[in-house]
Amino acid sequence: MSKRHLLAVFSNFHEAEAAVTELRNTSIKGFDSNEDMIVKSPIEHPEVEEFLGDKPVYVQWFTLFGALMGGLLGFFLISGAQANFYAQIKGGKPIVPFPPNFVLTYEMFILGGVYITVLGFLICAGLPAKRSPLYTSKVSEDQIAILVKTDEESAGVLKAIFTKHEALEIQEEAGK
Amino acid sequence: MKDINEDIAWAKINTDVLRSLESPRKLYWVIVFGALAVFSVAVGCEVYQYNMGMGVANMDNPHVWGLYIATFIFWIGMSHSGTLLSAILHLMHADWRKPIYRFAEAMTTFSLMTAGLFVMVHLGRLWQFYYSLPYPNDRSLWPNFQSPLLWDAMAIFTYLSSSVIFLFVGMIPDLAICRDHLHAGWRKKLYTVLALGWEGTDRQWRNFRVTYLTIACFLIPLAVSVHSIVASDFAMSQQPGWHVTSFPPYFVAGALYSGCAAIITLFIILRYTFKFEEYMTLAILKKTVRLTFAIAMVWTYLNAVEFASVWYSHDIASKEVLIQKATGPYAIAWWGMIFCGSVVPLILAFKRFQTNIPVLLVTSLLLNLGMWLERWMIVAPTFSHGIYPWTWDHDQWPSWVQWGMVFGSFGWFTLLFMVFCKVFPSVSMYEVKEMVYHRTLASKKLEDSGMQESGKGAH
Amino acid sequence: MSVTNLLENWAEFRHTHPVDDVPHDPYKWAMSIDMDTCTGCNACSVACYAENNLPVVGKDRYEHGQAMHWMRIERYWPEDGREFPDQGAQFLPMMCQQCEAAPCETVCPVGATNHTADGLNSQAYNRCIGSRYCSANCPFKVRYFNWYDYPTTENVWPAEMTMQLNPDITLRGKGVMEKCTFCVQRIRAGERSVKNEGRILRDGEVQTACQQVCPTNAITFGNLVDPDSRVHQQWKAQRVELTVDEQEKDKEEGGSDLRGYRILEELRPYPSVMYLERVRESAI
Repeated sequence: MSKRHLLAVFSNFHEAEAAVTELRNTSIKGFDSNEDMIVKSPIEHPEVEEFLGDKPVYVQWFTLFGALMGGLLGFFLISGAQANFYAQIKGGKPIVPFPPNFVLTYEMFILGGVYITVLGFLICAGLPAKRSPLYTSKVSEDQIAILVKTDEESAGVLKAIFTKHEALEIQEEAGK
Repeated sequence: MKDINEDIAWAKINTDVLRSLESPRKLYWVIVFGALAVFSVAVGCEVYQYNMGMGVANMDNPHVWGLYIATFIFWIGMSHSGTLLSAILHLMHADWRKPIYRFAEAMTTFSLMTAGLFVMVHLGRLWQFYYSLPYPNDRSLWPNFQSPLLWDAMAIFTYLSSSVIFLFVGMIPDLAICRDHLHAGWRKKLYTVLALGWEGTDRQWRNFRVTYLTIACFLIPLAVSVHSIVASDFAMSQQPGWHVTSFPPYFVAGALYSGCAAIITLFIILRYTFKFEEYMTLAILKKTVRLTFAIAMVWTYLNAVEFASVWYSHDIASKEVLIQKATGPYAIAWWGMIFCGSVVPLILAFKRFQTNIPVLLVTSLLLNLGMWLERWMIVAPTFSHGIYPWTWDHDQWPSWVQWGMVFGSFGWFTLLFMVFCKVFPSVSMYEVKEMVYHRTLASKKLEDSGMQESGKGAH
Repeated sequence: MSVTNLLENWAEFRHTHPVDDVPHDPYKWAMSIDMDTCTGCNACSVACYAENNLPVVGKDRYEHGQAMHWMRIERYWPEDGREFPDQGAQFLPMMCQQCEAAPCETVCPVGATNHTADGLNSQAYNRCIGSRYCSANCPFKVRYFNWYDYPTTENVWPAEMTMQLNPDITLRGKGVMEKCTFCVQRIRAGERSVKNEGRILRDGEVQTACQQVCPTNAITFGNLVDPDSRVHQQWKAQRVELTVDEQEKDKEEGGSDLRGYRILEELRPYPSVMYLERVRESAI
C-alpha cells in the first residue's frame, strides 16, 4: 500500500493543538498518530509535548555515560602516564599526586559530558537529518505545521480534519 | 521605559534580525577595518619578537612575566560573562537575557581565542608549544600534569570547545531560519549545512531542550573552574602577593565583573551598528547595569578581604609587596585600578545613569580599564619585590612590543566578533519569539484574572 | 598495562620526597659555602661563564637585568646608615640551590625540569618551551632565560672566541631557561670513568668550576651520603639536616654557636646548599 505525506499549516498553537487532539482520538486506517505525525514549530513549546503525549528523551543517559567515561579516562590516563612513562619526582610531590589529577579529572568529566551529550542530541534528534518530503519556510517564521503520513485512501479524512481546524494551507505530496 | 513590544509580529523578528546580516550601518565597516589595522600592529610585534627573542619585550630576570600573562587573564575573565548570561540566567529563567545572550556567548568564544594567543606569544619557544599537549609519542613523553599551566591548557580547551558547541547548538534553530529566508548564495549553502536539516519537529525540540539545559548545567561549574585554575597559576606558587587563598573566588568575581562591563560596551555598539534598538532595549540594559553594579561590589569586597588578610598576616614578604603596590613604581596603575574598579561603578547606582548610553559607554570602558589594571597589578609587582631581596633593585617597564601586542589583541577580538555578527544572527530569533510568546501569555493570564476579580465586584 | 602498573607500584608512586624518602643512593650532590672565607672576588662567577658557555650579554642588557650569571655574587650592606661600614659589604655567592623539593619543577608545563636520582634539579633544554613559570616560582630567582639568541648574536662569541667554548655542553638558543647544574657534565664524566673501575666517585674527584677556582676554598662540593666527604662532615658538624625545615641553629634560644643555615628554608624547598654564617666581631 503506498503511503503519502500531507502537511497542514496552522497560524497558532490552539488550532494545531485541536487538530492533533482530534487526530489522536480518531482512528484512521493506515495512520498511527504516534508514528506518523510530526509537529513542526518555530519555538520550543512545552504544550506541544503535552498534547502530543508522553515521548521519552534519552539524551541525559548519554550525558551520564559521557561524563563518567570522561572522568575515568581522565584520571587513569593521567595517573597512568605519570606512573608508566614519567616516573620522575617533581618538587617533592608524589609521582601520582592527587590534587592536580583531580583538577584534570574534573575537566575531563565536563569535557566528556558535553561532547557525549551533543553526540546524544544528534543521535536522539536524528540530526543531521534529510529534509522531510514536505516543508514550508513559514515554520521557521511563525506558523505551526503538522506533517502526517498515511494511506492513499485516508488522505481525504485527514484533509477534512485539517480544514475543520482552519488550516491555512495543506500541502500534498505529488502522487506516485 | 520601553521594553520589547509584546505584540511584535514573529515574521518581523525574523526580518529585523536577518537584516543585520545584510546591511549594517557604515560604522560597521569602519570598525572592521579599524580592527584589522589594530590587529596588524600585534602581528608586526609578534613577527619581530619571534625573530629577535623575548628580550625585545623588555622582560628580564626576575621580571619574567609581563603584560602577556596579565592580558591573558583579562581575556579569560572577559569570557565568563557569556556563560553567566547564557547558562546561569538560563537556569534561573531570566527571560531578559534572551535578546543579548547570543552575542555574549560569541564574546566568550572569541575572548577565549584571544586569550589563547597570549599564551602563544608569551612562550619563549612558540614553535614548540605542542610539547605542552598530551599527545601519544614514541618516547613516552608527557606534559607535566602537576603544572597549573597545564590545567589552564586543559581548562581552556574544555571551555573553548564547550562554549563553541553551546553557541552552535543554541544557534541551530536560527540557522534553519537563515537557511529558509535568505536569498541563494554561498551563505545559504553554509546555513543549509550548519542547520543540519533542522525543521523544528517535536522530536528535535524535545531533545534540544534537554541538551541545551544539560550543557548549560555543565558550563557553569566549568566557567568557575576555568578562572579558579587561572587563579591557581598564582595561588599555587610560593610568591608573595600570589600565594593567596582567596584568589580563586576573587578571580571569578573579577572575571564576571569585566565580562559584564564588556557586555555593556558591546551592547551599545551592536545596538547602534546593527539597528537593534527594538530588541536590545533599555530595559535590558538597565538590568545588565544593575547586575554589573552588584558584581562590582562583590569584587570590591573580595579585594578588601585580600588586602586585609595580607595586612594582618605575619607574612612580611606579602605585606611588603602590598605596600610596594601602593607606593612603588606601580602606584599609578594600582590606584587607577582601585579608582576604576571600585569608585567608577558607583555611577551605575544612580537610576538616571542606568539608561544613559554615553555615560554607560564611558563607564564600561573605564571598568574594563580598571579590570585590566587589576590583572597587571596581580602579575607584575610580585616580581619587582619578591621574597628574595637581591632582585628588588631591578626596574622594569614593558616595551612597545608588549604594549603593541596588548593593543592589537583588541583588534583581533573586535575583528572576530564583528565578522561573527555579520555572518550569524547575533540576536537569537527563536528565543526572542519564545520570550514574546511567554510574556503575552503571562499578561493575558493577568488580564483574565483581573477581569474575573472586577467581574466579582460587579455582582 | 598502566592500570596494573599503577596498582602494583602504588606505594612507590605515592610516597613524598624527600621527607618520607630514603636518602639518595649512592650519590646526593650537595654544597656548603663558607661566607667567612668568601672575599667576593667573583672568580667563581668567571669560572662558571667559562665552564658553562654562558654568554656575556654586554653592558646594556646587563643593566636591563638580562645577564646570564648562573653564579652571582650578591652584595649586602648593613643598614646602619653609613655608606661604607667598617666591616665592608657582605658577600653571598648565589646559584641554583638544587632543592630536594624544588618549586620550579612542579610548575613546568612540559616537565623540562626534574629531580634526578642523584639529587640534582635538572633542566632539559630541548624540552623547554620557555613559559618561564619555573623562574616565576623560584624563591631564589636563580634561573636565567635566554632573552635573545646569543649563539648568533654578534660580539657574544666572536669568530676566534668560539674556540674557547666548552665542547662538553651545548649552546642554548633563544627562548630556553637555564641555570646552574652543579657542573653536571663533570659529574657525569667522573661517574663514567669510575664505572670502569667498579666503584663510585670519591670525595674530590669531581669539582665544580666555581669550587675549583675559589682562592679561599670557600666552596665545598661533594656527595652528601658519603660519610668521608668534606661536605658531609661540614653538614654534620653544623647539624644541618637535608630533610627538615628548621635546623638546630634556629631552635636554640639566645643565639647559637652553629653557623650552618640554608636560605629560605621555611618555604620547604629543602635546598642542597648550606651556607656558613660570617663570623665577625662587632666593629662598634
